Amino acid sequence: MCDLLKYSQLVRNLTVKEFKLRYRNSILGFFWSLLNPLAMMIILTLVFSTLIKFGSENYPIFLLPALLAWRFFSISTSMSLFSIIGNSPLVTKVYFPRWLLVFSSCLANLVGSSLEFAVSFPILVFLGMKLTYLILLLPIILSIEFLLIVGMSLSLAALNVFYRDIHQIWDLVLQAGFFLTPIIYGISLIPDRYLFLYSLNPMTRIIESIRSILYYSSLPTYEDFILPLLGGLLMLLVGYLIFRRLEPRFAEEI
Amino acid sequence: MVGIFQILGGKTFSYEEFWALKGISFSISQGESLGVIGENGSGKSTLLKLIANIFRADKGSIKTSGKIAPILELGVGFHPDLTVEENSLVYGSILGLRNREVKERMDSILKFSGLERFRDAKLKNLSSGMQIRLGFSVAIETDPDIFLIDEAIAVGDMEFQQKCISKFKDFKAQDKSIVLVSHDMDLVKQFCEKTLFLSKGEAVDFGETDRVIKKYTSRVKVQ
Repeated sequence: MCDLLKYSQLVRNLTVKEFKLRYRNSILGFFWSLLNPLAMMIILTLVFSTLIKFGSENYPIFLLPALLAWRFFSISTSMSLFSIIGNSPLVTKVYFPRWLLVFSSCLANLVGSSLEFAVSFPILVFLGMKLTYLILLLPIILSIEFLLIVGMSLSLAALNVFYRDIHQIWDLVLQAGFFLTPIIYGISLIPDRYLFLYSLNPMTRIIESIRSILYYSSLPTYEDFILPLLGGLLMLLVGYLIFRRLEPRFAEEI
Repeated sequence: MVGIFQILGGKTFSYEEFWALKGISFSISQGESLGVIGENGSGKSTLLKLIANIFRADKGSIKTSGKIAPILELGVGFHPDLTVEENSLVYGSILGLRNREVKERMDSILKFSGLERFRDAKLKNLSSGMQIRLGFSVAIETDPDIFLIDEAIAVGDMEFQQKCISKFKDFKAQDKSIVLVSHDMDLVKQFCEKTLFLSKGEAVDFGETDRVIKKYTSRVKVQ
């Protein structure tokens, strides 16, 4: 962690650079990233509230925060996966701790996702979401999600250097994950015998926590809080170990 | 603050069972500069990358002391869509400077590279020569203890080359070390007290520059 202090300027610069480059040459810029979840929310609400009558009451508030939380996870990991091979000159021509590349990519996404959440709040309130002090817990939950994302990204980015089809495998995992995580539907729909498997997915509990706060306006359960934290820390450890193991040969493989 | 490095024992490095370097062992003290010469493919650039910690040795160890600035390729981390100033901040921070420090030195960076008018220009709008000059100027401003220079990248017009050479003289006066990979024997003689002659990954000779260079040139002549 002392690396983080020593290279804090570099992390900041890399994060800012990622962020700038993403939106510099576009007109709508940041608002593009908002369009997608909003469009999804509208379409899904249309289908599940109006056409199929399957969703919960006030479906948009049920759905949108879960969508945003999932997007944070899926977009972060997908983009950070490339942070090593996408920065090959930085790996092959100069030296600094390589994990900072993955970390700053995740950080740039944290900023982006936080902004997505922030901008969608007025919309949600307009649609009837209740604002309570529980909202203060949201940054904590997103931080736990961030731990999970960094851990996952470290593993993926390191593996991607050696096995270039990791990103395709991860794409499939995310696609399946979207449906296997209670995003579009509520966890109450799941039969008891599958609940355990669902709990193994850390995103399930993170989304449940967020739903507690924003939709049910109640305190998340102890498990919904502690288990993702432990899962995030575990993922971070795994990611760190994998990355540390593979990192010495990065410059040769790229 | 000390610029000493040593390579102990045998140091080897492999890629697909090819030993790029084998049995290399030498050391240099603070303020001493090293020339690395040899034919193409002899492992010179690989050596620089090992010293810079970009590659890891399969066997042996490398000890360095002090801040190292590898100038193996210029403008590492440069992005065409960012401006000259933005790229300098990123590059500077890669080499260990804080943004504040880079901004303080921005004027002299622009002056050294002759890019005063282009502070806010996007990098892609500059010529490759200008980009190279910018990279060199930022690297020089980072005030490292050890410079690793792969001469293949030292292009630029006469005026710029002269500027660089006089900067290197300043460095030596400040007790900094330079490791220079070069085919220019005069340059090596000018700056390096010791020289390492590599051939096919092995050290043919290491020691006082004049003697090693003589060995190199006589070898070439024989062929």
